Amino acid sequence: MVVSLIRIILLCPLAAFAIFGLLGLANRRFPRQDYLSTAAMLIALACSFLLLREVVPSPEAHTVDWLSLGGVTFSMGFYLDSVTVIMLIVVTLVSSLVHIFSMGYMHGDPRYPRFFAYLSLFSFSMLFLVVSDNLLGIYIGWELVGLCSYLLIGFWFEKDSAANACKKAFLTTRVGDVGMFIGMMMLFTKFQTLSLYGEGGIFALAASQLTTGDMVWLSIAGVLIFCGAIGKSAQMPLHTWLPDAMEGPTPVSALIHAATMVAAGVYLTARMFPILTETSSLVIAYVGGITALVAATIAIVRFDIKRVLAYSTISQLGYMMLAIGAGSYVAGLFHLTTHAFFKALLFLGSGSVIHAFHAMHHAHDDEHDHEHADDHEHSDEHILGAEIPPDQDMRNMGGLRHKMPITFITMLIATLSISGVPFIFSGFWSKDAILGGVLGRAMEWNSAHHYILFGMALCAAGITAFYMFRLIFMTFFGEPRNQEMHDMAHESPKSMTVPLLILAALSLPVVNILWFNDTYVKPPPQPHLHAPQHAYVSPDSNIGGKGYTVSLFGVSEAAAAEEEGGHGTDGTHTDDGHHGHGPAHAIAMVLSIFVAGLGIFLSWLFYHRRTLSAESVATTCRPLYNLFWHKYYFDEFYDGVLVALTVWKARLFAKFDGSVVDGIVNGVGFVTRDLLAAFTGAFDNRVVDGIVNRVAQVTWAVGGRIRRIQTGAIQTYLFVVLAGIVLLILIFRAL
Amino acid sequence: MLLSLMIFIPLLGMVVVLLLPRESEELVKRVTLIFTLIPLALAVYLFISYDRSTAGTQFFHGPVPWIDAFNIQYHVGIDGLSVTLLLLTALLGPICVIASWRNIEKGIKAYMALFLLLETGMLGFFAALDLFLFYVFFELTLLPMYFLIGVWGGPRREYAAIKFFLYTLFGSVLMLVAMIAVYLNSNIVNGVAEGARTFDIPTLITLAATQGHALADPDFQVWVFVGFFIGFAVKVPIFPFHTWLPDAHVEAPTAISVILAGILLKMGTYGLVRVNMAMFPQGLAHFTDGIGFWGNSLALLGFINIVYGSFCALAQTDFKKLVAYSSIGHMGFVILGLAARNSEGITGAILQMFNHGVISAMLFLLVGVLYDRAHHREINGFGGLGTRMPIYTGITTLAFMASLGLPGLSGFVGEALSLLGAYDRFKFLTILSTIGIVVGAAYFLWTLQRVFLGTLNPKYEALPEINGREILTLVPLGILTIVLGVWPNFAIDMFRESVTNLIDVLHAI
Repeated sequence: MVVSLIRIILLCPLAAFAIFGLLGLANRRFPRQDYLSTAAMLIALACSFLLLREVVPSPEAHTVDWLSLGGVTFSMGFYLDSVTVIMLIVVTLVSSLVHIFSMGYMHGDPRYPRFFAYLSLFSFSMLFLVVSDNLLGIYIGWELVGLCSYLLIGFWFEKDSAANACKKAFLTTRVGDVGMFIGMMMLFTKFQTLSLYGEGGIFALAASQLTTGDMVWLSIAGVLIFCGAIGKSAQMPLHTWLPDAMEGPTPVSALIHAATMVAAGVYLTARMFPILTETSSLVIAYVGGITALVAATIAIVRFDIKRVLAYSTISQLGYMMLAIGAGSYVAGLFHLTTHAFFKALLFLGSGSVIHAFHAMHHAHDDEHDHEHADDHEHSDEHILGAEIPPDQDMRNMGGLRHKMPITFITMLIATLSISGVPFIFSGFWSKDAILGGVLGRAMEWNSAHHYILFGMALCAAGITAFYMFRLIFMTFFGEPRNQEMHDMAHESPKSMTVPLLILAALSLPVVNILWFNDTYVKPPPQPHLHAPQHAYVSPDSNIGGKGYTVSLFGVSEAAAAEEEGGHGTDGTHTDDGHHGHGPAHAIAMVLSIFVAGLGIFLSWLFYHRRTLSAESVATTCRPLYNLFWHKYYFDEFYDGVLVALTVWKARLFAKFDGSVVDGIVNGVGFVTRDLLAAFTGAFDNRVVDGIVNRVAQVTWAVGGRIRRIQTGAIQTYLFVVLAGIVLLILIFRAL
Repeated sequence: MLLSLMIFIPLLGMVVVLLLPRESEELVKRVTLIFTLIPLALAVYLFISYDRSTAGTQFFHGPVPWIDAFNIQYHVGIDGLSVTLLLLTALLGPICVIASWRNIEKGIKAYMALFLLLETGMLGFFAALDLFLFYVFFELTLLPMYFLIGVWGGPRREYAAIKFFLYTLFGSVLMLVAMIAVYLNSNIVNGVAEGARTFDIPTLITLAATQGHALADPDFQVWVFVGFFIGFAVKVPIFPFHTWLPDAHVEAPTAISVILAGILLKMGTYGLVRVNMAMFPQGLAHFTDGIGFWGNSLALLGFINIVYGSFCALAQTDFKKLVAYSSIGHMGFVILGLAARNSEGITGAILQMFNHGVISAMLFLLVGVLYDRAHHREINGFGGLGTRMPIYTGITTLAFMASLGLPGLSGFVGEALSLLGAYDRFKFLTILSTIGIVVGAAYFLWTLQRVFLGTLNPKYEALPEINGREILTLVPLGILTIVLGVWPNFAIDMFRESVTNLIDVLHAI
């Protein structure tokens, strides 16, 4: 039952794509590719919900041999636990909603069917990644989603900016993937398998075979695998592709570059949780923390509505990484889920706004052809590349809340959620779980690192509230800044607003009830994670300590810790805790509410009341503003140094190849020919077996006769050759 | 017998084609097609009925005495490795004939006749079990190739053809010397000559593993290894013997490029496996034991091929030359995998041989499609073709993705296994080689962008879409690319036992 459900989930979207591909070869189209793809996704969604009931306490893996060598077998299989099911539901749900939204948003695009086919391929790849029970399968899905991301970012490939962006995305993530592959090679060489679960899986072998002497090795392997996540989840320093990926259609940004694919890095890191060591955890946490903070600061100064959201995504992904690095496994995945819903909502909402402005453009450009394709202005407007398209520039917006009430309300809900406004929005709970978890670890281990990380996370939370409300105020409040555009704007059609409403409902905590159930999602043990010696805290300590797990609603005796007691000889790492520790949790909650309030208040002062002027602050802090505006100069560094160096090196190699290596060859050729030419006449008749003569003969034959070769002569040659072969055989047979 | 039939049917076809009147071009093409389809049918039959559970050679013909004076025999047979490559050769035969249907303007009769001769040479090479016969077939491919490039090639065809010919000949002369050395030593045990000398490959493999036999002498093996290695290295081609390849590819007509990349390069790596590895395991050990410079030298050559080839490809602006350099890079993975001497590495290398044959064939066919329409190959001279030729763009994207090693397509499996195997023995070089993966993606994506993305170059507003005949040549290769990417065991089943057997030989020393 479970296996067949998973098969259906995978095959439906794959079939939808295959139909497109096969018919495409004959230059045909399925009449309604949009219905086909959407139906496939809805079936997958239904099956995912059915799986919810099927999850058994002990997760199962179902495998087949995929690649068998003499001694080693690589198997492919499915692994289903509570996290898998939640991921399946998140992916299929967001994907279905994006499919429906796209029917409105992409209407009239000349490549409309292709868009849905790509979405299907993406959904298949992502789902394959999620259910795979081994690193090789994850890697396959991982690269396939990368391909889909490439295809969809470059969907409007006539635009140079889109063509550049898709290439950049693929190559940047591939750099990370190579790191991941090296990590896989390390693990494979050690354990002779890439399966993760079961008796012969990496986790079991790592738990039983590795000693403290292997910790450096394991840390390196862990960090290398994490490199893949750095690329895919756009963490520093490989984050620069994600903002550019906004060149893709907005539904793609919502599905791939906000809700699902970019979260795959977090999912992978969570899957690798059992082999994370103290060092690799700390590296992950720092990468996440720095990314969360840096990306948030860049978001403050953006004017392109989609770029604000893109940097916000990077920042939130950093949060999730931080959580997992700090041991808050459940909190990280919880935030992944809530973020998927509210960020998809924010992107689709921004799409709704952009769509409203789009339609206006059409009406303006061509009064008569209201419904006509979106593609023209895409190719025209974006020519300048780095310029912000006017329909995405928040400086052209303002006061839209009356024009687009549903878009406004739903986006406001998402913003309240991401900003961490307490209690009634899911984002508050997941963010608070992370903050509490990090602070809990800091207090438990008495670790300066984790206090620093907590500080970063807290700052990022405040900044997030600030820039998100800046977006809301600039877009929906105040006076219209561009009256002409404002007049034409209108609420989007139902196919677009209904998904917004559903996603808004998903941003309420009650829908995310599973995460509040301590027994549904449990962190796997981390046998290689040892608390630093100096920070050893007695199990009886009142902060954290063995035997206590803190849920969101109070402290309770934790069964989990005792179950894992076998691994936890020192008692400090078993209690990872569900959502942080008692006092830590309370402190974190108070602080997070405070910074969120502060962020929103400042935003209100700057962008609504206008008591404070953003411009004057920018002038006073010019260097800092420049740093944020230029995105910490990452792009300048990559383009100006790394890319330039690579191309220079390639040209150098090619030149070396043409002049030096080939030069030697040609030189040898000339010398041989000239020398031999002098002797040819004299030695022509004296045919002696030997290397020199043979070369000479050939040189002579080739050099002298090739000019005379005509097609007629070839046939004579062939007959001569044939006769020669026959003759040879006969002669030698006679010998 | 079946095997011999398969080998010589194209030769028979050549005779038939030569007897046809020159004017009836359509007839010539059809006859050639039939004479390439028969070996394909036979190859498919062999592929299906090959017993996958044993390592031994099957479908013997011979040994039949041929040149008694030197104990040279006609002896053919196939193991898992050869049957895979035979299938590839037989498959590319008809594809190349179809690809040559319209764009060979002069002397179609001679062209087709030479092509059939070439096919016999290639098929015979992969099946030969006698070292002398092996050499004869190896040389037999040289002649038709020389004419096919030199007569039907591009503007610099003469230069390219001579270069190709001399280069290969230089290599094969060294090989000949090594071969004669092996022959002369084949009956010397403990310094005493006893019995007859032989060229028989299975016998030689056994002798080379026999204690006290002259062929088993480590120093002897090292020198003979080098002789054969250079011969094959030219063919692969391994840096620094590779410069004939870009010239030959650029000048050769499309179908000949396909054969060149698809089969001829594999003759080099096949020779390495069949002769260098199986016959001279101690020679191999000397260059792959990881000790000192020489112990890392083979892996180093693999690494250089990968990185050097990829970087050179990145700098090319000629579409065909770019694909040619990418071949050099991809063959580096084969060398790296072979140097690993373990089941992952060798299996990866063999898969990579087959997959590269399929994928590079696709790439050259695709370049040909574009060249036939635009009459140039300058990458920067196109732009935006994605809007004009969506099907062509889709197939090219598939081929590029397969070539840059996207998982789910066949290119990935061979590359990944080669690297996995090599990492076990040459950690540093393998990690450095992964640079090639990124650069590989870079040059293909950059090409994709320059040719297909962006706004349509107004010059090509009327460029016709890929036609049915061209799609027909690409579809079987595309299917293979996907099938082997999704289900690699399909191919590995064929040679798993042969690889295990080879590894036993390598570990026996």
